[in-house]
Amino acid sequence: MGSDLSNGNVLECSDIRKTFGDFVAVDGVGFHIGAGETYGLLGPNGAGKTTTISIIAGLLERDGGTVLIAGEAMDPEATAAKRHVGLVPQDLAIYPDLDARENLRFFGRLYGLRGSELDHRVDEVLDIIELRDRANDRSDEYSGGMKRRLNIGIGLLHHPTLLILDEPTVGVDPQSRNAILESVERLGEEGMAVLYTTHYMEEAERLCDRIGIIDHGTIKAEGTQRDLVQLVGQRDRVRLVATGNLAAGSAALGELPGIDDAAVTAQGIDLIVENAHDELPEILSVASRTGVSVGGVDVDTANLEAVFLHLTGRALRE
Amino acid sequence: MKSVAIAGVSLRRFFRDRSNVFSVFLFPILLVLLLGSMQGGASNPRLGFHVETPDAFSTQLLEGLEGIDGLVVKELGSEEAAVRAVERGEIEAALMLPDGYAATLQSGGEVELHYVSRTQTEQLQGINTAIGSVVGQQSTILRTARFAEENGAGAFDEALAIATEAQMVLPPVEVVASTAGEPFALAGLGQFDIYAQTMLVLFIFLTTLQGAAALVQSRRLGVTRRMLSTPTPARTVLFGEGLSRLAIALVQGLVIFLGTWLIFGVDWGNPLLALVVLAVFALVSSGAAMLLGAVVSNDQQAGGLATMIGLGLAALGGAMFPLAVFELLSTTVWRVAHITPHAWALESFEELVGFGGGFGDIAGFLLILLGYAAVFFTLGTWRLRAILTR
Repeated sequence: MGSDLSNGNVLECSDIRKTFGDFVAVDGVGFHIGAGETYGLLGPNGAGKTTTISIIAGLLERDGGTVLIAGEAMDPEATAAKRHVGLVPQDLAIYPDLDARENLRFFGRLYGLRGSELDHRVDEVLDIIELRDRANDRSDEYSGGMKRRLNIGIGLLHHPTLLILDEPTVGVDPQSRNAILESVERLGEEGMAVLYTTHYMEEAERLCDRIGIIDHGTIKAEGTQRDLVQLVGQRDRVRLVATGNLAAGSAALGELPGIDDAAVTAQGIDLIVENAHDELPEILSVASRTGVSVGGVDVDTANLEAVFLHLTGRALRE
Repeated sequence: MKSVAIAGVSLRRFFRDRSNVFSVFLFPILLVLLLGSMQGGASNPRLGFHVETPDAFSTQLLEGLEGIDGLVVKELGSEEAAVRAVERGEIEAALMLPDGYAATLQSGGEVELHYVSRTQTEQLQGINTAIGSVVGQQSTILRTARFAEENGAGAFDEALAIATEAQMVLPPVEVVASTAGEPFALAGLGQFDIYAQTMLVLFIFLTTLQGAAALVQSRRLGVTRRMLSTPTPARTVLFGEGLSRLAIALVQGLVIFLGTWLIFGVDWGNPLLALVVLAVFALVSSGAAMLLGAVVSNDQQAGGLATMIGLGLAALGGAMFPLAVFELLSTTVWRVAHITPHAWALESFEELVGFGGGFGDIAGFLLILLGYAAVFFTLGTWRLRAILTR
């Protein structure tokens, strides 16, 4: 599939706007995604995620702004741009009275696949979504997780440049959820650009190279998880469960760069640090040198939940 | 070709539901059979005839009855068989002559004819008249011969021969019949003809309209939107959906057309023109289904409304009570009936079957039906497109 990625971006959208009557659903959203990058659109229900991706996928007419997919302008009639996009909608969009193979063949034909290419690709996707054994069973006989996997498989049929997944793990059991997340990680590693919307913070943290926090139809902040955390001044907390010369240890640790605060507690020493992951070896080393015996370490990294709360004044699942 | 794929998947889903095969194909033909059998039709009346020992007079009576145009006479082996045939509806009436019919008449005795019939119908009135006419004719000859014998004109047999000859030579009294006004449209139709037309129109529209539920279901499943996320233009998706409805309507129409033609010998007039009417009406029905599928929000609502509208328009448009009956009842009712596409389709069939009409006779009706199809399709696709992309 030919695509113009001269600037490295698979998706470029800017100033997208959409209103439904008086309700402003999307108000000036803009971001870009590069090849092999997984971008998370993180926001609570009703934040404007689904409207945004519906516009990006060419399902909805927008009131303003631009959307370019691999250099092609996207709108509801833009078949050239749609060739680059695989959409996995939030609600299952499959025929329940057809089997997995029939569903895949049908959508494969709509993506322009024919003959042996279609047969081959359907078999490949059945393997990817691990439904080859149940390919000829009606999909309404599948478990929730199997249906979700089929829903994702349809979006992969034509080797899209950009895969859009709209909350693909809603209502899925933990095992299937993990399988879905692993699949998305693998697709990203294979070079596919992925736009992933979710209101599960841990999914965004696990999958996404960059995250846009969206609320009330606008992007409140954007960047890597670390960027976002630092943007709002969040710090990690490290608790050393320790004995020995706690006062000396605390004083020495407080002098280290990257450590904002150190205090002795009943259990040991509490530290506020910029990046626990980076600082932890040095912390343990200094503690040992100052006569502190460390029996355990608890690390609370600054997370997106806190960032979201800070940016929007409300929790992700409100 | 993508629209064919969309239509193909709809058809596959439709035929996968076994109940559709019965309700769409077998049920209409069974209804034609049932209603046609109950009606008995406007076909020729059938009279059973039995005589224990045939003789010259009974043979003459039988020949007289058989000579009546439009009366079918069946000879039956016994009185019981004749009565049973009437009870079963195989014949409308039976006439049974006593043993020694000729001898009794020749001797001047009275003869009692045993006549059995079903409840009085228009056809029975015709049979009664026919029997009265033939028996009266034979009676006149006998009375003439008896009178001649009593007045010395010779033996009874000679007088009878002369009277019979005279009856054949005398000029008959001729009743010249003429008609006033338009011929009654149902006249001359076979017992299944009218029901084949009406059931075809009723079921094509009803079944296709119920397909609106599948359209809504596809929308609610999110499948239609997903189709629009593929490199498939909205017009292709909508055309594919419309094509599937049209295919179901055409297949159903063809099954009813061929089934009633081959099984019941239904007269469709010019078959090619009848198929054209069928195709255009299928187009109207598909457009109506697209419109209904675009304006309702759930499939149960679509199914309920489709049944109400389908049966309501069928009743109003002459697919339950013939339009000719409406015309007899009231001009206003007849005019109101023509608000529906059903009435125009039935007018076309009536022109082809009842009056042997050609393309020129139904061209106007076809144009009106195409107008309905254009309006329904335009409104339906406009509304669906708006729902899906705005």
